[in-house]
Amino acid sequence: MISSPGVYSKVQLCLPPLPLCAHCGSAVSSNSSEVGTPLFCCSGCETVYSILNSRGLEQYYSLKKMGGYFNKPSPATELNQTYSYLDDPEFRKLYATENGAGQIQMTFFLEGVHCVACIWLLEKLPRFVDDVISVSLDMSHSTALVRLCKGGAFAAVAQEFHRLGYRPHPVRGGEHEEHQRRENRLMLIRTGLAGACTGNIMLLALSVYGGASGHWALVFNWLSFALFLPVAFFSAVPFYKAAWTALRTRSVSIDVPIVLGIIFGSIASFANLLTGSDHIYFDSLSALVFLLLASRYVLKRAQQNALQSSKLLHFLTPSVVRRKNPRTDLYEETSMDFINAGDVIEVRAGESIPIDGTVLTGSANLNCALLTGESEWVKVGVGENVFAGTVNQDSALSIKVSASGYGTRLGQILKAVEEGAHRKAPIVTLADRVSKRFVSAVLVLSVGVFIGAWYLAGIQEGLNRALAMVIITCPCALALATPLALTMSLGRAAKKGILIKGADVLERLSQIDSVFLDKTGTITTGNFEVLEWRTVEENARGSDADDLLAALALESRSNHPVARAILRHFPQIPATRLPQVDEFCETVGTGVSGRIGGSVYELRQADEVAVSRVETRVSFLKNGSKIAEVLLGDRVREDSKSSIEKLRALGLDVHILSGDNELPVMNVVSQLGVPRQNAMARMTPERKCQVIQEHPRALMAGDGANDAVALSAAFVGVAVHGGMEVSLRAADAYLSSSGVHLIHEMIVGARETMKVLYRNLGFSLVYNMVGGGLALFGKVDPLFAAVLMPLSAFTVFISSIVGTKRLRGAA
Amino acid sequence: MSIVYFMIPFALLLGFGFTAAFIWMAAKGQYDDLETPAHRILLSEESVQSSHERQGT
Repeated sequence: MISSPGVYSKVQLCLPPLPLCAHCGSAVSSNSSEVGTPLFCCSGCETVYSILNSRGLEQYYSLKKMGGYFNKPSPATELNQTYSYLDDPEFRKLYATENGAGQIQMTFFLEGVHCVACIWLLEKLPRFVDDVISVSLDMSHSTALVRLCKGGAFAAVAQEFHRLGYRPHPVRGGEHEEHQRRENRLMLIRTGLAGACTGNIMLLALSVYGGASGHWALVFNWLSFALFLPVAFFSAVPFYKAAWTALRTRSVSIDVPIVLGIIFGSIASFANLLTGSDHIYFDSLSALVFLLLASRYVLKRAQQNALQSSKLLHFLTPSVVRRKNPRTDLYEETSMDFINAGDVIEVRAGESIPIDGTVLTGSANLNCALLTGESEWVKVGVGENVFAGTVNQDSALSIKVSASGYGTRLGQILKAVEEGAHRKAPIVTLADRVSKRFVSAVLVLSVGVFIGAWYLAGIQEGLNRALAMVIITCPCALALATPLALTMSLGRAAKKGILIKGADVLERLSQIDSVFLDKTGTITTGNFEVLEWRTVEENARGSDADDLLAALALESRSNHPVARAILRHFPQIPATRLPQVDEFCETVGTGVSGRIGGSVYELRQADEVAVSRVETRVSFLKNGSKIAEVLLGDRVREDSKSSIEKLRALGLDVHILSGDNELPVMNVVSQLGVPRQNAMARMTPERKCQVIQEHPRALMAGDGANDAVALSAAFVGVAVHGGMEVSLRAADAYLSSSGVHLIHEMIVGARETMKVLYRNLGFSLVYNMVGGGLALFGKVDPLFAAVLMPLSAFTVFISSIVGTKRLRGAA
Repeated sequence: MSIVYFMIPFALLLGFGFTAAFIWMAAKGQYDDLETPAHRILLSEESVQSSHERQGT
């Protein structure tokens, strides 16, 4: 904002407070409407409002207030494409599927789904678009499944989505998602079946504990056995597979003692069943399987949510491109999948360039921050090369494609990330380490108990005590300790906008010793903006507000980055309030000038230095004397300084790695209090990766393609809001708000989670030791085990909830 | 006490029936999305209302 108090406060007094848009609730910049009529932030929102009213759907607005938001609402955009490419047969082959009833369906990712009213509105679509059978929303993924009659067109549906303010992106129904869905369903069925069987077995067992005897006990026990079979042979299969995988690689995971317990427990119980003994543990075993399956299912879903969250929408790459049809010479929309080398495409202002190529017509400034980290815009003209991932700032370009997809520079980075060229090694988690020692202890003890009891009291007693030992030490609580704590943490983090890919990331986060931050786009905004507007007091007198309006009037006639930045700095002043300009003159490379209201105003760049790397100075002159100086550059975010201080307070070493040049980096470093030796400039993606690899316990945060390789090599890689899809694939966690303040919360949260984990493990080990001790002395019988197991599970559950309460409360 | 001869098999049959229904629902994908249906409850009022209105006019 303007730092000089003089101009700022006066300008504020002149302008009314910002009203809110009647449709999306954002601030409205134009205040030209009369009082009483609803205001809108843009014509898109106004259009949606009138559409809803004309169709009798005003209930949308009352539903909005009722449901509450689960995302931030966003303004509607104008319909600027036909979406005709959606009905191209080649496209449909890739993206649409035919379901059993001869209907075609396609899934769309929708931008802007933020409340209950959105669900209501979108599911009403069949009423307004022909051939649509149904639209079903999946709120957590922000996707809509559209079912069409055989002859229908998806273009009409997509246009309707767009018109209503929900920009659609077709989603390829990949085998990956389908596979994942099927896996989830299977796991749920296993869990449900185990639960049903457990409940019934427990009922039967309770009768036996309660005193049923004789042939009733026999009947109940055999029934328990029959109900246990599906659990042992179907529900417990994931444990067998995991234990086998672990043993095959000569390592031990928590699944090994579980499987040992199940196998030994069921065989011995069956033997006891045949001999008529009452040492039967089917109820405890099936409860074990059920509890563990349930906790793992919940954890799995929690982890998957992070990957598919609607909060990741800003990482989307453009799906539609405008390609010139060589026969008609017109640009038509087509999907990115069909672009080849040699095609000519058009990229308009504000769009990102999706391919590598050469400029055929037009010239523009490109923002390369996401690809190279440079904070300064690059000007390109005819014949120059452009690369995928850069953003066109000001005017349309037509580009001849030289490489697309994996062939582009960006694509090569993506390939490197996907092939795991620099993948970090998986850590041996705390749970794995504990289970290693645990397994050996249990085996030794069980054998010891068996031999001891056999020696002292006969083989039957020996077997029973060993069996009791194995059952009671079966790591129910131990195996629950980790998933419960982690699931709750992941959920809490997600609510704050921290999306973590996997549970082991939390453990890694607690072990971090240094933090490496990218500069452009992460610590800074990555945009060229006004940093300061300093009035020169001696020369400024009278109406500063009029002078400001004069400056804006002049800049509104220029397309130069400086002009754009200045205009963006004052969004609340509508074009209608700007005064007339006479004798306007723009000198390329120098500035603008003109006559307004009797005075000659000029905005000129300081002569000494051209658009400087650090900051650009523009002098604002009135009738020849300087009344203000404007500083522009890449702005450091407000929260960066405090975030870095907090990170250092945690005991972490903070470094800055940037692809930008020395001067901008050093400038930022001095503002943030980072020691000079911790900042490195002119870093290539490979060099960043090298530095990261020299620090085995480093956290790396970045947004662009130039960070991606480093992100995948770092101990923990964090992709920041506003970044590219490739950094999304490379990272372990994503922050859905800009800036680095969430990193501090992430690390604190992880440390808290580890504390809960340690406590859970502590509880479960206590249970196991007490139980094991009692089994040693023959005090454990099926009833005791049946009570102890759920009790230990419950304790761990409560401990997880209470432990993560602080994480939740702090939100 | 002989009622038990009926109760136990019947209870198991009921349990089996519900479990089968659960498995069928899970396989059909009813449990894929657990969040959106929770929000849809808020919306059912309107359709009930409007159907009543339609009947009224």
